[in-house]
Order: sequence, then C-alpha cells, then structure tokens
Amino acid sequence: MYFAGVDIGSTMTKVALIDESSNLVSAVKGPTGPEHRQLANEVMRQALEKVSLQIDDISCIVATGYGRVNVPFADRQITELSCHARGVSSIFPNVRTAIDIGGQDAKCMKIDNGRLVSFVMNDKCAAGTGRFLEVTAATLGVRLEDMGDIALKATKRIQISNLCTIFAQQEVVALLSRGERLEDIVAGLHNALASRVAALAQRLGIEPDLVLTGGGAKNTGMVRAVKESLGRELLVPEEPLLTGALGAAILAGETYMKAVAASGAFSAKPRRLEKATFFDREHQ
Amino acid sequence: MSWFVGIDIGSAYSKGVISKDRELIAWHVIISGANHRTSAEAIMTELMRQANLTQDDIASTVATGSGADNVYFASQRASDIVCTARGINSIFAQARTVIDVASLSTKVIRLNQEGMVTNFAVSEKCAAGGGRFIEVIANVLRIDLSDFGPLSAKSRNPVIFGTGCAVFGESEAITRVSEGIPKEDIAAGVNKALASNISSLVRKLRLEDPCAICGGGALNTALVKVVENELNISLLVPPHPQIITALGAAITAATSTTPESSKEQN
Repeated sequence: MYFAGVDIGSTMTKVALIDESSNLVSAVKGPTGPEHRQLANEVMRQALEKVSLQIDDISCIVATGYGRVNVPFADRQITELSCHARGVSSIFPNVRTAIDIGGQDAKCMKIDNGRLVSFVMNDKCAAGTGRFLEVTAATLGVRLEDMGDIALKATKRIQISNLCTIFAQQEVVALLSRGERLEDIVAGLHNALASRVAALAQRLGIEPDLVLTGGGAKNTGMVRAVKESLGRELLVPEEPLLTGALGAAILAGETYMKAVAASGAFSAKPRRLEKATFFDREHQ
Repeated sequence: MSWFVGIDIGSAYSKGVISKDRELIAWHVIISGANHRTSAEAIMTELMRQANLTQDDIASTVATGSGADNVYFASQRASDIVCTARGINSIFAQARTVIDVASLSTKVIRLNQEGMVTNFAVSEKCAAGGGRFIEVIANVLRIDLSDFGPLSAKSRNPVIFGTGCAVFGESEAITRVSEGIPKEDIAAGVNKALASNISSLVRKLRLEDPCAICGGGALNTALVKVVENELNISLLVPPHPQIITALGAAITAATSTTPESSKEQN
C-alpha cells in the first residue's frame, strides 16, 4: 500500500511517496511552472515512474502548499503548516520548534508530539523571506544557490541598515561602489534576513529541538546566520524542501487508516493526472 | 544681494529654487543620478542661467534632503522636515498638516499656527510607504511616471494588492499583466495601496485640517484623489509640489541671513 503527499509551492512542487510503514520510497522535486501550476502533475508522474507505480496504486493522496486547491489527483487538501509539522517530526521526533524559510514567506511552528500547536508567519514583507536574498543576489549578479557559500568566505562584518528589500538593493550597490568585498556584503545580507527570521521565531518562543527547513535550510550561509542570530543549535533535515510533502504523505496514510477503521473502506476520488490549477480568482 | 538659493537633493530627484523676498524667481528639477555632487552643480548652473545671475549675486544657499552633504558650495544645511514645513507655510499659511510624498519615504508634518513644526512621522523603513512603490510598478507597466496618475484615473476596477510590500507588489503586478488585466487597473491599485499606507501614517500623527500635500507624489493627481478619499478631506496642492522643500530651504537661507527676521527661526 502506498500513500502520496504533493506540496505545490510557489516555485517548486515536491512529491513524496511512502509505503504503509511510512518509509519514503520515492521523492521528486520539480518546478511548479510559471503560470497556473501546470507542471505539478509532471512532478507526480516522475515520482510514480521512479518506482514503477501507477496513480491508481496510491491509496490516498494529500495535497498541500499554496497551490493545493484544485489538484485533480488529490483526495484531500491539508494546510502546509500541519504537513510541515508532521513531516519534520517524522524525521526529528523531539522537535518542538520548526522554522521554514521559503521563497516568499517564512513560518515558525510550535510542535508537540508531531502536532502543530501554534505558529507565526510572515508573508507580508519580502525582507523576511527568501525573496530578500533572491532579489539582492540578482542585483549583485550572483546565482541564488551560490549566495550561501559566498557568505561563508566573509572576513568582515557589514551591517545592512535598510529593512526594505528595495532599499537594500540600493544599499548593496552603494557598498560595492565604496569598495566593500562581495563576500562581506553577501554575509551581511544573510545576517539581515536571519535576524528578521529570528525575531519572528522569538515572538513565538523557541524550545529545543529546533529545526530549520525550506529553501533557506539548503543555504549553508543561512543556516550559520540563523544559528548565530538565535544563539542556539539548529537541526537541518537532509532534504529540507521535502518535509511538507513527506508530512502530507504521512497524513494521507493516517486519513486512509482512519477511514478504514471507521467504515471499512476509504473511497478515493476518481483520479486524473492532470495539471493543477492555482487559486481561483475568488480564493485570493 | 537678496537672492537666496535652496537645493534639495533627494534619492530620486534633485530640486533647486531661487527666491527673492519670499517670491519664487526660478526653479529646476533633475534626476539625482549616481553623482549627487554633479547634480547639485548642474542645478546651480541652470538656476543661474534662468535668473541671469552669477553665484556672487547669491546671499546664501541652503542644502537639504538625503544628499545634502553633496552640495559642497552651500552656506549651511537644514533638516528637510523644517524646509518642507516652511515651504508649505509660505504658500498655505493656514495648513496644519503636510503630507510630503517623496521617493524614499513619505513624511507627515504637523504645524502650529505660527507654521512651526510640532510633530512629524516618516515612513522610511519600507518602499511601499513612498513614491518608490509607484516607480517600481511603473517600470513593470513600462509607463512614464508622469503618465501614472492620468492612466490610473481611467480605471473602473482597481486591482487589490494582497500585501503592502513593494517587492511582492511587483510580482503581483507582473502576474496581473500576464493575466491581461488593463494597465490602468494595476496603476490604480498601486495608488490605492500607497494611499492606504500614507493614510495610516497620517492617522498615526492625527490629522488636523487644513492639510496640504507635496513632493513628487503630489504630481500624481490620481494618488492625491485616493488619499483624499481615504482621509475623507480635501487636500491643498501647491502649484509645483515637487519643489516645496527646496523652496523652504531658500526661505531658510533668507531667514538665517537677514538679521531682522532671525527670530523667526525654529
């Protein structure tokens, strides 16, 4: 028996397939597609293909993430906060606080026994999200994925004084023209973002074990900066982008088992491996 | 020697005026560009040319704005808050509140009956609080800043922006363009979002009527209208809203050099 979790994020779609013992059997990350999330089904197809499964072999599919609405091949939609909490605790059973730095939001979650207890979120200001690094990387002519390693080479502490991403862009140019070194500026940008994420986490209150996930956790410079900002140890999963999809798959398994226990069977929706559509206008 | 110069070097535009006996003689606005020293010089040269004066005719020059330090030939520097207040007061003596919508920030200034600054608030932390938000979206829409107001005035169905962030607003605008939403609806939506940010800043300081609006943002007539709607008042708009702070700097130059009026100073 297999279960699947599909996490349709703003830029990446993540699929996790697990067996009935919650072992991860297949995982694929792929682009969501620039418009209307039409590539989500493609990522699902690849995940199935990897382990020679058909969509009908999956007993229950849970969709999560920004694009979870209108996924034609999902049985249930569950918020990404619940899925993240579940996924993170399946990897780190002692997790009490999880921070997720995404491409256009940052979330901090309090977790107890795998359940989401409370959360705070920033999706209103780009300066507290991965977007801050994405925009300033473009200004500096550096690839986003190289930013973290560049930051680790810094030898001088530079303070980015502007809070706003747009003003920071100007500040970065001014720092370059003043002769500051790229690695020091990049490290300064990481520290600026880390301090905002730390402030968000402190609003919620931090209890160990503390886990960092999301694209921000793939960036070694960011992991170090968050560690320094909080002055705490930080656990990072091997695949920090997959926790949402993994949690969704585990919740798919639980949904299925609960239905079977209650009524003897789970009625899966008729499935079409078709492109997902993003929010309807009315949902926005 | 009764000519006075005020130069206001902002992050986006540099403005200069010559005044004589509190009358506006000449004014000039240029893009600040990368070298603010050159911009300051260019403004001075143009002012002299317009008024047919030489720098020796100028009794005093006051510099203000975020780039005031670059006006190396200025006799003194003055706070932009004070200059904006004095500039508005010279035109609308009755104004008790001033909203200055600049590129970098929006300032709200409260004045007493004598035109003195009693309190102020600045939206300096976030690009969505100032004209920069409009500049960012105008760039997405590929339209001139001067067309922003007239274009958005045509809108019947302004787009609602989900956040108050200029970076997220930029992505939203790009998405709306690709969905085929008319440019005027996107422009009007940005004006609305900015107006709501401006209005909350005004409310923070408490609005006292009459209220004037100036700065480059006041050239955007549609923005002025939405701010009026948001605050439910009518705003006083000076004839050349962008040069008010520079005018105030020139007035400051005059008041600090004429002995009989020195007691007017803050």
